[in-house]
Amino acid sequence: MSRATFRDPRLWLVAGALLLVLGAMLVPRIKLTRDVYDVVAVVDITTSMNTRDMTVGGEKTSRLQAAKFALRDTLSKLPCGSRLGLGIFTERRTFLLFNPVEVCENFAAIDGAIAMLDWRMAWEGDSYVSKGLYSALDIAHSLKADLIFITDGHELPPLPFSGLAPFDGKPGDVGGLIVGDGGRKFARLLKYDEDGREIGTYGAQDVPQENRSGPPPPDAASRPGYHPKWAPFGNAVVNNKEHLAVVREAYLKQLASVTGLTYAYLGDDYNLVPAFEAAAHGRPLLVATDVSAVPGSLALVLLLALYGLGAYLALKSFVSSSSTSSKGAY
Amino acid sequence: MNLGFNSPLVLLLLPLVLLPVIFAIQRAQGYPSLAAVETDTLSRVIDVVLHLSGVVALAALLAALAGIHLSGQTVERVGEGSHIVLLLDRSSSMDDTFAGRPPGDGEASKSAAARHLLRDFVEKRPHDRFGVAAFSTLPMYVLPITSQRDAVLGAIDAITRPGLAYTNVGLGLSLALSMHEADPTAASRAIVLVSDGAAVIDRRVQEKLRAQIAKRPVNLYWLYLRTEGAPGIFDPPGEDVPDTPQALPERHLNIFFQSLKVPYRAFEAENPKAVADAIAEIDKLERNPIRYQERIPEVDLSKIAYGIAGAALLLLTLAKLAEVQLDGGGHRGERASSSVTATRRAAAISREKEAA
Repeated sequence: MSRATFRDPRLWLVAGALLLVLGAMLVPRIKLTRDVYDVVAVVDITTSMNTRDMTVGGEKTSRLQAAKFALRDTLSKLPCGSRLGLGIFTERRTFLLFNPVEVCENFAAIDGAIAMLDWRMAWEGDSYVSKGLYSALDIAHSLKADLIFITDGHELPPLPFSGLAPFDGKPGDVGGLIVGDGGRKFARLLKYDEDGREIGTYGAQDVPQENRSGPPPPDAASRPGYHPKWAPFGNAVVNNKEHLAVVREAYLKQLASVTGLTYAYLGDDYNLVPAFEAAAHGRPLLVATDVSAVPGSLALVLLLALYGLGAYLALKSFVSSSSTSSKGAY
Repeated sequence: MNLGFNSPLVLLLLPLVLLPVIFAIQRAQGYPSLAAVETDTLSRVIDVVLHLSGVVALAALLAALAGIHLSGQTVERVGEGSHIVLLLDRSSSMDDTFAGRPPGDGEASKSAAARHLLRDFVEKRPHDRFGVAAFSTLPMYVLPITSQRDAVLGAIDAITRPGLAYTNVGLGLSLALSMHEADPTAASRAIVLVSDGAAVIDRRVQEKLRAQIAKRPVNLYWLYLRTEGAPGIFDPPGEDVPDTPQALPERHLNIFFQSLKVPYRAFEAENPKAVADAIAEIDKLERNPIRYQERIPEVDLSKIAYGIAGAALLLLTLAKLAEVQLDGGGHRGERASSSVTATRRAAAISREKEAA
């Protein structure tokens, strides 16, 4: 061991690399926090969701299929540690199939459950979207979760003239998305028989075009055929295009503003995760993270510098020796 | 046993391990001539070992940075268990207590009692795979047959939510049977039907159920959560009650199940204790050999790789410390390299002389 040895930078490089590698070996995993999400995903399975006016992967498909596609995609993109529960909506309420469970550990089961969602599970034909949404918010709130509610917003029977029922909860308590699912052009609403076979489409008079169960509209007196007792809604044939399927975006945006959710349209790119993460309440999760790569890569840099220096010196002495030998020959 | 890497792109740097093959990390020092030095094996070995140490250190470090690990895998083992579909009644009467009232203080609804005990049942049968179906007005597919227990528990937890209107047992059973049909593996199969009532099964649905059962036989368990005052499964009909499915749906559902020619047990439970007994009984009966998959988690090898790199680096460091100065201590590196030049010049001159 000589002083020259200690002056040689290569000694310090190799010793430094050794220390860093030892550090990488012994450094404990450190705890970092990361945001994960608890979500109840609710899919509208009413008949209007069977309308085939969505396009997934270049193929025309039903709104329900599009919703399932988007949900399975969301499932695969949620960070591990997030929890997802699944519910279905029809009639006037949301029915929870299972409570939120961790997405990575239970991926196959959740994925299988989403794949098996079917409009035939719908126990009633009505589609009170606002009531279904409110009950979904109730469920999500009781589970301390956020909500993804996928629907085409087709309220049938239509809302009464008094408008939307007030929302009981506190807007913003539950974060998340109302997702509009459906084409923006009017399409025919499919009709099914008792055994679930498709038997054509609905005509204008097959569905209630307006809700006549509440009080009549204030301008009822100006309607044709109006009579305060016998015809309080007038007697004209109304066509509000309620028999046609289209995504009711204005209505869904109104619902979103009432409930403090965020509206997103599904058809844009089928990727709900960024919008959801922006609208949801993240739950910080402590994750043990392996940081040994930091000293490890520093050690690699030192080693490369070490051999790079060796290569440089070898090259330099080769050049100088060839120049000296040519001088010598001179 | 197969190796895997978390970030295989790091391995693109692998050609760098050739650097230490070519270059050494020892100082070049001048020496007049090596012609007089005999080649000895020990020196050769030390030389090779030092170069190799560099290679090993770099390679091990790269492997560690790429996240080398033994991939997790699933192995098949044989244990005791079954594939069980839980067919759960979600009709609104399940929200009431066994006394037929909405639950008051300290009282458990039928669904809460069932949830508690089903959770225990699922948790103490580690090798079973469970599927979940629910039924009310219509059957609802909840979870495919899976070994992912948390999901099953999540589905069981959801049964205490308010239920729907009717009790359509027939279609629910048909769904549960089709879930078994869709599951290709050979295993002992069972359906555990948990309900607090029954309904008339449509003649056509009866035919369908018989056909399904013939195709894939299952063990059938019916856990009947009997409300106080409700007709029992096993009671003979009273004097003034007609013995028809419409009047006594529970009794006739039992008769229908018995006619299916599969192993079948019905349990009548009028309180949470009886539910627990029934579930213990099912637990005892469902003990068949089953092949199940066990996941072996992946094993992180990067610490070992760091260890190898560390050992190689230790060797290199020691070798570095053992270096000696040939032309007397205390010389600067420049002096050393100038002496190299001097030596080389001398050698060149002598070569010229020889040529002359």
